[in-house]
Amino acid sequence: MDTSPGALAQAEITAQEQRGTRLSTLFTGRRWPIFKLTFVTGVLTVLTLGLYRFWQKTRVRRWYWSAIRPGGHPLEYVGDPYEKLLGFLIAVVILAFYIGVVNLLLMFASFSLFQGNVAAYALSFVGVVPIWFYARYRARRYVLARTRWMGLRFGLAPGAWGYALRALWHWFLTLITLGLLWPRMTFKLEKYRTDRTWFGDHRMEQGGSWTMLFWTIKWHLAALGVALVCLPILGAGLVPLAIFGFCLSGLLLVFGAVYYRVETRKRLTGEKRLGSIRLHLKVNPLRVFWILVSGYALSLLVAAIPTGFLLVLFFRLQSAETLTEIGMDEMSQILAGADRWALVGLTVMSYFAVFLLWSALTQAWVTLPITRLYARGLTVEGAQALPAIRQRPRDEHIEAEGFAEALDVGASL
Amino acid sequence: MSTVLKVGAHPPVFHGEGLFYDGQNAEARPIDLSINEQRGVLLGEGVDWPLDKIRQVHDVAGKDLVILRHRDDPAARLILTDKTLLARLPDKDRSAPIARRGRLAAWALGALASVALILFVLVPLMADQLAEYLPPEGEKALGEVTLRQIREALDDSGLQPIAFCTAPEGERALRRIETRLTAQMDPAPELTVHVLNHDMVNAFALPGGHLVFFRGLIDEAGSPDEIAAVMAHEIGHVISRDPTRHALRSAGSIGVLGLIFGDFAGGAIVLLITEQLIEAQYSQGAEAEADVFAHDLMLRADLSPAALAVMFERFRTLAGGDAEGFVGHFLSHPRLGDRIAAARNAVPDGFRPIPLLNPVEWRALQGICDVDAAF
Repeated sequence: MDTSPGALAQAEITAQEQRGTRLSTLFTGRRWPIFKLTFVTGVLTVLTLGLYRFWQKTRVRRWYWSAIRPGGHPLEYVGDPYEKLLGFLIAVVILAFYIGVVNLLLMFASFSLFQGNVAAYALSFVGVVPIWFYARYRARRYVLARTRWMGLRFGLAPGAWGYALRALWHWFLTLITLGLLWPRMTFKLEKYRTDRTWFGDHRMEQGGSWTMLFWTIKWHLAALGVALVCLPILGAGLVPLAIFGFCLSGLLLVFGAVYYRVETRKRLTGEKRLGSIRLHLKVNPLRVFWILVSGYALSLLVAAIPTGFLLVLFFRLQSAETLTEIGMDEMSQILAGADRWALVGLTVMSYFAVFLLWSALTQAWVTLPITRLYARGLTVEGAQALPAIRQRPRDEHIEAEGFAEALDVGASL
Repeated sequence: MSTVLKVGAHPPVFHGEGLFYDGQNAEARPIDLSINEQRGVLLGEGVDWPLDKIRQVHDVAGKDLVILRHRDDPAARLILTDKTLLARLPDKDRSAPIARRGRLAAWALGALASVALILFVLVPLMADQLAEYLPPEGEKALGEVTLRQIREALDDSGLQPIAFCTAPEGERALRRIETRLTAQMDPAPELTVHVLNHDMVNAFALPGGHLVFFRGLIDEAGSPDEIAAVMAHEIGHVISRDPTRHALRSAGSIGVLGLIFGDFAGGAIVLLITEQLIEAQYSQGAEAEADVFAHDLMLRADLSPAALAVMFERFRTLAGGDAEGFVGHFLSHPRLGDRIAAARNAVPDGFRPIPLLNPVEWRALQGICDVDAAF
């Protein structure tokens, strides 16, 4: 009998799974259905001048949620497009005033005092930053309030302004320490959110401390190190070697960003608690990196087809105009008929087709595989405590994720 | 504790198994289900759901599960792997009634009203007020920024903004026209006159005394007096600060429109606004005022206001020829006829205009774009 630590751990996991105390997560979504869903709902969004986007978002989320099945039990997203529309309208009423009137005043002040619009854009941006954090928290609250698992609601306690203030403070600290305190910010903000997250009547807790995240910036430091080594090499005149070094440093930086995101998530998830229930996340950062690189490369390749078509049409349009310019009016009269409008129509259609295809392709080749990787890496330990959790009341949250939608904050999916 | 009732051969007896989430605890309970045909309900332990009140949850990934809910129960769910039950549910696809319809309508109206109020009342009102207080340097900078945006927006190649036409002889001729007009004004306005290398038949004024002619307009004009008439009209706009108001208005409006239409249409909206700026559709009143100003200025410079009428007629013929949609609609507006008549009536009896440019200068002006400004 194998008594190595690995084999023993494996045996323990198997035993837990048989007792039903350890739930692993299934993911049942496939590429083609999500491609179709995104593309079709995207077409409807374009045809309705953007109105259908609330339905699109709802349907795509519903699909993803139902694909993620911890212990075989699908999550359910019960968000309603109408409430999203309502929330958006509420946000529009408030933000239209800000954006219209405040921006006009800023623009006026900026041109009167500085003879340019840079100051206005900068101030306008600074003014939006706190609202941006506020919107992110509110959007998360809405999404959690509309997420169910085994028939029970999740929830996020109110606290959006507190979150915005803390986010500003931690960003300030991060900036003045040249990014060294970034992991601290990640931890503190995640703790703020997690400690206010509920499943049924149980509150979640974020354990651990920020120092456990510190070394997740090691690849950033490596990138910085390589760049620093390259400086004297460049000084010594070894230009090709230095350029190679800088490229390597850039690649390390990109990988570092992916590594940071995956690794901090893993460590944070491992320290989350729901009563006696614990979570565990196992994801390989290199695989995430590979999905990003290959997924975007493939999407670019395929989206290049309609883009090429668009370019050809564009040049045909251009040449029709050139005919007029060089005085061949009779020729352009012929082109100016129905053919010309068909060309314009085709150009507009392929313009939208490129957008729609791109969003559907990246959904199928990037978002889906990454979600699948995360989902399959998630296990729930101590599941025997689940039946003791009871339902929580509904969170009305009438403005839904309106601010996030209006400001395009891009709240999880 | 399943209840299986004996019924006739038609329809077939349904009996199935599934999981039940009661919506009270985080527990998935195995359940045996059957249909009570007399009452038309789905029965199981803790489940007594009328068939016509059962709804199917849509957009489920994987197609391996059928998820059912009761119309009036927000949390309880039945999970089946067997699809045969679906045929027995008459209203499984019926959508939920729109909740809070009144509030939705109220907010929709409120949003529309407030956006309309902001776009059509508040922003124009503020822009009109602020335009009075914008210092000259600020106005000039605003004009420069707007001019650059327009040049970039009109460029089809996407490589560089539309070029200025700067052939020296042509510029000199243009300067002559400008001086002839501004010499009659006190104080003389600070003007910067540009010609853009684009075939649009148009001219417009921007904040800070920027006047912009398109090559198309210079090509179409039959005499230097027509160019002078258009210039006098645009100077009229500059004096009454119409372009400044217009630019401030669009600064307030672009963001609001982008907010409503989101990413997809956002770019198109910005283009539309730029077009609006070029078309510079000021109010009828502002146009009439600029016309009157032009008539007066032309007379003082010993030029015939009728040149403006000639130019308007050219616009009208052009628009009638191959009606360029938007522009065509604007130009064929009956009011244009009034404006033509007004320009003709502004010519006093026995008026003798003094020629503006000699034939050589006129040819130079028409060729202002010949030496390409690509440097």
